[in-house]
Amino acid sequence: MEPWPPVDDDALTTELGAALWDTGPVSEAYLSAALAAFTWRTADAELAVAELTFDSAVDAELVGMTRSAASARTLSFRSGSVLVEIEVSDAGIVGQLSPSGGGRVSARTATGTYDEASVDAMGFFSLGVPPPGPVQLCARTVGYALSTAWVCLR
Amino acid sequence: MTGASATSLLSAAAGGDESAWAELVRRYTPVVYSVIRAYDLSRADAADVNQTVWLRLVEQLGRVREPEALPGWLATTARRECYRLSRLSRRAQPVDPYDQSLQTYHGLSRELAAMAPAPDDELLRAERRQALREGFVQLPPRCQALLALLTTDPPMSYREVAERLGIPIGSIGPTQARCLRRLRKCPAIVEFLGASAIGTNGGEPDGAVAAGR
Repeated sequence: MEPWPPVDDDALTTELGAALWDTGPVSEAYLSAALAAFTWRTADAELAVAELTFDSAVDAELVGMTRSAASARTLSFRSGSVLVEIEVSDAGIVGQLSPSGGGRVSARTATGTYDEASVDAMGFFSLGVPPPGPVQLCARTVGYALSTAWVCLR
Repeated sequence: MTGASATSLLSAAAGGDESAWAELVRRYTPVVYSVIRAYDLSRADAADVNQTVWLRLVEQLGRVREPEALPGWLATTARRECYRLSRLSRRAQPVDPYDQSLQTYHGLSRELAAMAPAPDDELLRAERRQALREGFVQLPPRCQALLALLTTDPPMSYREVAERLGIPIGSIGPTQARCLRRLRKCPAIVEFLGASAIGTNGGEPDGAVAAGR
């Protein structure tokens, strides 16, 4: 294998030129979507992020779940001791917050909120069918406020 | 802004500086894009991955512990989300419930295909270019100015370069050599070489054999 970076000055200059000027055909749509993501910075500032810890679409076979569970996709998010579990199917999203204690949950895409629902005493909630693209749930209860990591639900 | 380190861009963006965010996007979208391109996703899925990656970064802005690791973090996040979407689009296809064995077989092979970061040398090339871009940013401003002029397309004459920078023509060659030496030894390149020392045995292009027959 050729040593890298090239020992030859001309070769390195050429390669540097390619790196600096030929960034490839990155479409404008990619750039504008990336720029627009910044608008969520202030909206999220006060919410704790619940990280995605399980997604049956990618993790199911690893933990040996049976194929019968494949009709609905399940995902878990965790922030400290708070757990958000959701099941996504053609009928929409049903989920549970624990610890429970009532409150409200909203669901949004990168363009804005698409549904909102109250959380019952057991922590259950249900939301409409998520649009394609990344989705985030925000939960506000008496004890905590969090948003889930952005993830595509369908 | 163009010469700022990833560290200062991240902290400025975390503080609400939109131009710092724009610079991060400009600098690192090629990394995200090169990963996405390596997967066989639909155009809509590919765009969704890109959007997810940047939304994730926004949500992590104030929490990034090692700003130098940003390109790696972006590439890893993009890879994971590509894999997730490749699984999802497969689920959307109807399957014959009686053909369990075939399903399992195809499921596994497709899974392996999706996990392999496609053409190895293309990814390596993209990573090297990214290392060069970062190394360039770490050079002193005089080196950056000279190397930028020397790499323009169409190329600029030495005389024009000398005039623009206000330096004698005779000093261009030696200065270029000195700047390239610095580039080879700059932290971004050294770090990249250290990180890729493990597991870059895929550099031998198999295509060369096929093309040469």
